[in-house]
Amino acid sequence: MKITKQLLASLILMAFCLGKAQAEYTLNLMKGVTKVSNDIYDLHMLILWICVFIGIGVFGTMFYSIYHHRKSRGHKAEQFHENTTIEIIWTIVPTLILVSMAIPATKTMLELDDVQDSDISIKVTGKQWYWEYDYLDTGIHIVSRLDEASNKARQTGSGIDPRSIPNYLLNVDHPLVIPTNKKIRFVFTAADVIHSWWVPALGWKKDANPGFINEAWTSVKDAGVYRGQCTELCGKDHGFMPIVVVAMDQPEYDTWVKKTEDDAKKGPDLADQSRDQLIAKGVAIYEKNCATCHLPGGEGVPGAFPALTGSSVVTGDINAQVNLVMNGKNAMPAFGKVLKADELAQVITFTRNALGNAVGDEIQPKAVNDLLPKSATESSTQVTEKESVVSSVDLSKDDLIAKGKSVYESNCASCHQVDGQGMPPTFPALTGSPIVNGEINAQVKFVLNGKGMMPAFGNTLSQADLAAVVTYTRNGLGNSVNDLIQPSSIRALQ
Amino acid sequence: MSAVVAEHDHDHHDHGPAGGIKRWIVTTNHKDIGTLYLVFALAMFFVGGAMAMVIRAELFEPGMQFVQPQFFNSMTTMHALVMVFGAVMPAFVGLANWMIPMMIGAPDMALPRLNNMSFWMLVAGISLLASTLVMEGGAPASGWTLYPPLVLQTGKALPFAIFSVHLLGISSIMGAINIIATVFNMRAPAMTLMKMPLFVWTWLITAFLLIAIMPVFAGAVTMLLTDKFFETSFFDAAGGGDPVLYQHIFWFFGHPEVYVMILPTFGVASTIIPVFARKPLFGYSSMVYATASIAFLSFIVWAHHMFLVGMPMAGELYFMYATMLIAIPTGVKVFNWTATMWKGSLTFETPMLFSIAFVVLFTMGGFTGLMMAIAPADFQYHDTYFIVAHFHYTLVPASIFILMAAGYFWLPKWTGHMYNEKIGKLHFWLSAVSVNILFFPQHFLGLAGMPRRIPDYAVQFADWNMISSIGGFIFGASQLLFLYIVVDTIKGGTGEKVTDEVWEDASKHGLEWTLPSPPPYHTFTTPPTAIPTEHF
Repeated sequence: MKITKQLLASLILMAFCLGKAQAEYTLNLMKGVTKVSNDIYDLHMLILWICVFIGIGVFGTMFYSIYHHRKSRGHKAEQFHENTTIEIIWTIVPTLILVSMAIPATKTMLELDDVQDSDISIKVTGKQWYWEYDYLDTGIHIVSRLDEASNKARQTGSGIDPRSIPNYLLNVDHPLVIPTNKKIRFVFTAADVIHSWWVPALGWKKDANPGFINEAWTSVKDAGVYRGQCTELCGKDHGFMPIVVVAMDQPEYDTWVKKTEDDAKKGPDLADQSRDQLIAKGVAIYEKNCATCHLPGGEGVPGAFPALTGSSVVTGDINAQVNLVMNGKNAMPAFGKVLKADELAQVITFTRNALGNAVGDEIQPKAVNDLLPKSATESSTQVTEKESVVSSVDLSKDDLIAKGKSVYESNCASCHQVDGQGMPPTFPALTGSPIVNGEINAQVKFVLNGKGMMPAFGNTLSQADLAAVVTYTRNGLGNSVNDLIQPSSIRALQ
Repeated sequence: MSAVVAEHDHDHHDHGPAGGIKRWIVTTNHKDIGTLYLVFALAMFFVGGAMAMVIRAELFEPGMQFVQPQFFNSMTTMHALVMVFGAVMPAFVGLANWMIPMMIGAPDMALPRLNNMSFWMLVAGISLLASTLVMEGGAPASGWTLYPPLVLQTGKALPFAIFSVHLLGISSIMGAINIIATVFNMRAPAMTLMKMPLFVWTWLITAFLLIAIMPVFAGAVTMLLTDKFFETSFFDAAGGGDPVLYQHIFWFFGHPEVYVMILPTFGVASTIIPVFARKPLFGYSSMVYATASIAFLSFIVWAHHMFLVGMPMAGELYFMYATMLIAIPTGVKVFNWTATMWKGSLTFETPMLFSIAFVVLFTMGGFTGLMMAIAPADFQYHDTYFIVAHFHYTLVPASIFILMAAGYFWLPKWTGHMYNEKIGKLHFWLSAVSVNILFFPQHFLGLAGMPRRIPDYAVQFADWNMISSIGGFIFGASQLLFLYIVVDTIKGGTGEKVTDEVWEDASKHGLEWTLPSPPPYHTFTTPPTAIPTEHF
């Protein structure tokens, strides 16, 4: 009885809320801000109305029958049970209706599929449980996570009212930024499990599959902030990896690119810090990056995520722990690509001296930096190198290959992979490729001017870098053409 | 007809059931096994329902109040697995066991011992699945589709869940073989294929579907097992595999699987509606052909569950067109049911109310299905609450409602007692109203952008989620009425003595109504000579 009363009370309350909140939510699909999303909206409305129309016909007939042909009104049952004419009609007519739906649907499909002639390419990587964005043309890298305020409020029993958080669960720390009225091509992949990238205002979603590449494109008409979420179940925090796309007009976008590139140039702070300093700074990094799996107290989730408290890795050799954190293992992501050297030093020192552990040692940012793969640090100096005037001094083949390797890893490997195996059929393998193993000037021209999805590197790389990377691809990655090209020859071809 | 009945009356004393608990463990009698299946299914309906209540309670308000996200995911996963494999499928197998022999004039199922074994393997399979709830790392939490690589992150439960799928698959295959053998070999001489009741036809076709798909699912989960424990890489790109391959295999099973749950539903509806319209079923042969067409189409449309995985354009277009085709035979069925009611002499007892609600609400689920067949529109709908609303409309007010209808329709026959019509109608109206409060707002949520399988949501989704949860609680509580009615009817019901045909002129519609109520332990030990011929 009490429950009934409570239910009734909440129903009445609901009615009030409905009146008040009417403006806040929508009943229908949004039109979105792209041509494609508008086409999809029109398609949706077309089918919806066809269904409503058929529904009124069928249900109308049925309710007419329910009302008039009832025994209580004395209706006598007729005994017919077949009528070939009407059966043919109600097979043919729906077929024609279906054809009329299929035609506009096919048109929209073809439009969605056309990723050619894009202005910007962005690689989207889904990870448990955040998104990473790599701008393939400028090299900008963004890690985009649920914002702090939402994250605090969404913990079970946090006591924080979600209504007090602006854009609860739909806000991130670093949004994806795109220019308006440009054709933007996205390539999707994932690091661990399948994710799906959905911003309703763009009109579509696309799965991000580990080890494979999917493509989609958009062109946003209006500047604004567009929000979405991961839509493929990807583990416990699937509901907590939102997407925010900020569309800016070109001038603001250019300013943003400049600022972001300048920020990226700042390397890690390699100055030594005291153990207490390291631990103090490590707390926040731990909570943001590690606590979702290993839990805030380090007790982990037995069977799925190991405890850090008393863990043999955390209380063992410090260099082995650094190695594991940097390179990952199974479900553990490789944080060497996510965190800077100083952040790694802080969080590792924190785990060894907190969470119930007391190993009593620390590691300095400089020591971590020495353990990090070289390409990460070299790429940060690459921008300055590009700006300097290229010396026309010839380099040795070994120098070219050594330099080319780092250029390759920061510019080519995201698509063609570190080992040159590519991701067929989207990104061809360079190992054994006819272009790489063919005439060298043809390859240089190809790299300079791009083709299809291959960007034109003539404007983004220096002549020395171009010479180095071309030489590297021909003599590394399983190829052995055994020739080389000098920066001066590149200039001649440009 | 009465001669046939009298014959059974005197020989059912010869082979009565064994006494005590042993009767239920070792029974090979189709009626006993049917009862076991139905009771087990009803129990699992409440277990799966309790999990749904946990889900709706957590979603009642934004913010995390009751459970951890991982447990929430376990609940959505286990709710689906228990409802599909523990409630809906066994319930229809139970109906098949009880009704198919009585509808075709057979003394029992063709393979009675196999029948007993398939029931107990089902119990073993579901128990194993349920035991994963208390294992280290929790029950599977990757959705009932068990997609890799996520499912490979399951804790200790993974091999147990996989073995339970194997057991359930073997159980279903054995049940299906039994039904096919019974229908092909045990029909009364006058019962030609095109005179069989629609329920028998739909189950015959369903049984073929089961035999074709369960081994595919078993294969898919076995590949998961070897990927996890034996270093294979079927679904791991690093070893040359492809996670999307699993989705193709799964949905080659999964799409026909949803028809396994809906085709017998069609069959029961086609059995009940004519009785209360006092008319023969309209378009009997087109119903049979439509069922067969739907079954065939179900094998060639699977990738419409995968429009977003990155298929070539030609593939997407093909699966879109093929999926749209399903609307045609499904439409024929809905039109036929409407035409059966047209110019009948309708009465609205509880089974008929549930059947009419089924036709209306299933059709709404069909409409949203058609909308999602349109691939570009599905780019918006996919994996949102819109699809949650869609498939619940085709399962709850369709399969579940029809199972309720079947319960009310045949309980008087099975027990010899009449159920309480007033409480039955109350159960119907509470269910029919609350199921719409529960699922209709989910269309709005999906269109407004709420993804499925999330334990917490942005505040603009709060109002409809609260309404949906309230509907869910009312729907859940209303089902206790059904439990009460079943127990009450078995105990004696209204005390009203039911006739052999129970419903007015029902004996014109099916052989089961020519038997006494309740039917003796063994029926049709000699085949009936006359069968209802009103369709021809």
